[in-house]
Amino acid sequence: MRGTFMRGPRRVHGVAALALALALGVGACGEEKEETPAASSDSGAAAEKDCGKVTLNEQAWAGSTANTYIAKAVLEDKLGCEVEVTKIAEIPVFQAMADGKVDAVLEDWQHTDEYAKYIEEAGTVVDGGPLGVEGHIGWFVPKYVMDENPEFATWEGLKGKEDLFKTAESGDQGMFLGGDPGYVQKDKELIKALGLNLKHVTAGAEPAQVARWTQAIKQKKPVLFYWYTPQFYNQQYELAEVKLPERTPDCKDDAKSGGDPEQYKCAYDVTVIEKLFSKKFAESGSPAYDVLKKMELTNEDQDAVAKAIAGDKEDPEEAGAAWVTENADKVEAWLN
Amino acid sequence: MAVASTEPTASASTSGQPAAPAIPAPSSRWRGRPARVGGVVALMALAFALLRGDAPWPDSLTWNALPGRLDSLQGWLLEQRTAEDRSFIFVLLDGFRAFADWLVTTSTDAMLWMTWVGTLAAAVLLVWRFGGWRAALIVLAAMVSFALMGLWEASVQTLALMLAAVTLCLAIGMPIGVLAGRSRRVHRAITPALDAMQIVPAFAYLMPVVILFSVGPAAAVICTMIYAVPPAVRITALGIRGVQPDTVEASKAYGATSLQTLFKVQLPLARRQLLLSVNQTIMFGLSLVVIAGLIGGRGLGDVVTSGLYSNAALALLAGAAIVIMAIALDRATAAIADRTDPTRRHLTNEGRKRAKLVTLATLVAIVAIVLLARALGAAESYPDEFETATTVFTATIQDTLLDGIQSVLDYIQDPTSLIFGITEPIGNFLVKYALEPLRVLLVELPWFITVSALAAIALLISGRRPAITVLAMLLAIGTMGVWEPAMDTASQVLVATALAVAIGIAVGVWAAESPRVEKLLRPLLDTLQTLPQLVYIIPFIYLMPVSRVPGVVASVLYAAPVVIRLVTSGVRGVSPAAVEAASAFGATRGQVLTKVKIPLAREAIMLGVNQGIIMVLAVVVIGGLVGSGALGDEVARGLQRNEFGAGVVASLAILALGIALDRVTQSRTRSTGGQQR
Repeated sequence: MRGTFMRGPRRVHGVAALALALALGVGACGEEKEETPAASSDSGAAAEKDCGKVTLNEQAWAGSTANTYIAKAVLEDKLGCEVEVTKIAEIPVFQAMADGKVDAVLEDWQHTDEYAKYIEEAGTVVDGGPLGVEGHIGWFVPKYVMDENPEFATWEGLKGKEDLFKTAESGDQGMFLGGDPGYVQKDKELIKALGLNLKHVTAGAEPAQVARWTQAIKQKKPVLFYWYTPQFYNQQYELAEVKLPERTPDCKDDAKSGGDPEQYKCAYDVTVIEKLFSKKFAESGSPAYDVLKKMELTNEDQDAVAKAIAGDKEDPEEAGAAWVTENADKVEAWLN
Repeated sequence: MAVASTEPTASASTSGQPAAPAIPAPSSRWRGRPARVGGVVALMALAFALLRGDAPWPDSLTWNALPGRLDSLQGWLLEQRTAEDRSFIFVLLDGFRAFADWLVTTSTDAMLWMTWVGTLAAAVLLVWRFGGWRAALIVLAAMVSFALMGLWEASVQTLALMLAAVTLCLAIGMPIGVLAGRSRRVHRAITPALDAMQIVPAFAYLMPVVILFSVGPAAAVICTMIYAVPPAVRITALGIRGVQPDTVEASKAYGATSLQTLFKVQLPLARRQLLLSVNQTIMFGLSLVVIAGLIGGRGLGDVVTSGLYSNAALALLAGAAIVIMAIALDRATAAIADRTDPTRRHLTNEGRKRAKLVTLATLVAIVAIVLLARALGAAESYPDEFETATTVFTATIQDTLLDGIQSVLDYIQDPTSLIFGITEPIGNFLVKYALEPLRVLLVELPWFITVSALAAIALLISGRRPAITVLAMLLAIGTMGVWEPAMDTASQVLVATALAVAIGIAVGVWAAESPRVEKLLRPLLDTLQTLPQLVYIIPFIYLMPVSRVPGVVASVLYAAPVVIRLVTSGVRGVSPAAVEAASAFGATRGQVLTKVKIPLAREAIMLGVNQGIIMVLAVVVIGGLVGSGALGDEVARGLQRNEFGAGVVASLAILALGIALDRVTQSRTRSTGGQQR
């Protein structure tokens, strides 16, 4: 946290605000704010066109921090934009974009209900296309568990050996450590449909879930859990995936819609990570929009920066800027 | 349910010499009751052995349409707000939003414009002028620590948010509190609303707030207000009611109008309580900083949230900054309240003139420092490094602090450590012998047996009316279709309350006996009440890796301080005459404690139990975020997956549980001491 928000033009803003406060001109502040983007261009670097202020929303997890700060570095260094980073929760941020308070979210894991509401119906949010990162959800075990039990490579291998994952919490069944309640999941249904003798245990939000399985790994205990890629922890810990049944055409992934467990009996689909823009931003003609629209990352790009930030505790600003310097060719493609 | 109704509960109150709860004579009703309650429990166990799992809550008695209705209500709100011809209400709300946004942004910008030097000087000098040098030193230490932690800008943002939210809370809460203090009917009418505002988890209403107020400072202010207005109302009302009735009578007899009585008699005499309500509003507000961050509150809340995902040490550091801010604001407001008390300052005309001059000089000094700092080019926010002509110094000790915290975390996360060898078995023990058996009992008993047994226990402990309330609440929970998760949550709440009360009574009595212990405890209790739970609960997951235990630990740590404070003040409040009499008859210190002090303080202890339950319920959602499942999980999902209706239903179930447990533990307080307030 090193003073990441609003660097330059705040001065102008602040002077105006204080002058107003002194004059007790209480009402007029709305207009004063509007002037900020214009005033900011002189502090920016070689700006070709007036970029103004861009607000990016960083989602809570490290991968999102990575792509947000990569974008921030590009917009600030190459376009001279003023970038503000907000940290609003996943669902409220849709309303924030609808209200024009946030311009872009670079990593959205397909919130279909909100897409229907804000993109299709109201049209206040615009789908900016895929970021290039592909999300994959699945069942994972530490590699040492897989080495000792090679049959765990597919779900059938778990059958009859669920005991291995027994804990105080799961009684005489094996424990399945569920994912963050905010994430797409169907593991309770899967366990039922596959007829496994496992107890689904909620571990809570992601940091809490990570605490649980990393602790198990430190104790060299067996643990079976919901997990996903891309995730920088995958570089820090050696994990192996348990293959779930092949996908069938009608198979569903989000148990939120309820119903018969059988309809969830398949592996999770690949999630295409989407970029989302506020309609206001998309139509503003800002050069930042064109760049963000073209922006593309691979899972490896994102993981590398995420690991620098969360694993090696680098400053996000520096980690993002470093990636931009090292990958000038990729960035060049977004700029033209 | 009177959260903070007889006494300001949550947190650091210096100025609040809590009104000692009334201590009626022990009633004989209490005797023989444990045996009968035990009988009911034995019957439950018997029924469990015979009928286990036979009758879960039937679908035919469930109103499934509720979540759907609530979802469409949310959709309707969204349509209304964006409609072309908005109704007057929405225009009004928009006006409020603009105002609150302006208030927060302007004060943040002003504090940054003043530069860090200027802001620091202004805060310290103002507190020095009105609160004395001790408080000023605390504020100075706090501000310096924000700077050294490298969290200056985030702290300024949070401070601005808090100042705006607290001002608005008081502007709304105090007038309502005055009304409630002057009219019993108003008081009775608003109490349920205040209870709901404090028990319904903020997660449940974040989304509607965002729909109505968008994201940003205004939404954060609103959320903070929903939680922090109730204590402002309650303590104000308590203060007004606490003014001696004969004083009020006297003023009326002299022909004072109602308004004159209010402004010349009641308000001045209730001054201490009014200032206490300022203080408590700040504490409650600060405990919502992290949640406010989720909808654009920025500041330290943001640092905590993102730290949790990518840098646990940073989350802890920001949590520490929140605690420091709470303690500094608490001590500063308390000192200012103390120093400016007109009943304690007898100023001559000359003295008054001099005081005015000092104030003026202070203001001039602040302006001068600000202008000087700007002229010399001080940075708006405290910088990460200082540059001189030759070298660059690192200006903060953030890295050192983070390394230190990280090494503690590493120790905690080491499963071969000594501490893990102690904590892991405790965690497993709790699950195996307390949480799981109780959950299975409540969930798998036929529902009608659970309902009637719990109502019977309520009848035995508290009487008929509470029993009816409990019955109604349990039936409501079942009808809403959340019977199983609610019973799961109930089992966790009961275990957590039992632990919090046991710890609270033991430590509370100890603190009452030894002022030194109390003094040592105070900063610890302040910390536990303002440190965001998510921050310290993650280490507990490492120490006790079983899902439900960290949530229970969080509840206990949050609730125990309140119990400790109430028990301490209760035991201390026991009349010295009774103690002396016992000693005169040759009772030992231990005998005085167990035979005289504790029985006489029983009402205060019961109030502690009652408040403990409320605080435990307030943490249910946090439990959902660390793996407690049940209702907390559903509320958390309500926000994160936008299952709004389901989240609200789960919140209502938490509220119903709260009301039921509250009536069972509180009705006796109400029927005896409470009624005469």
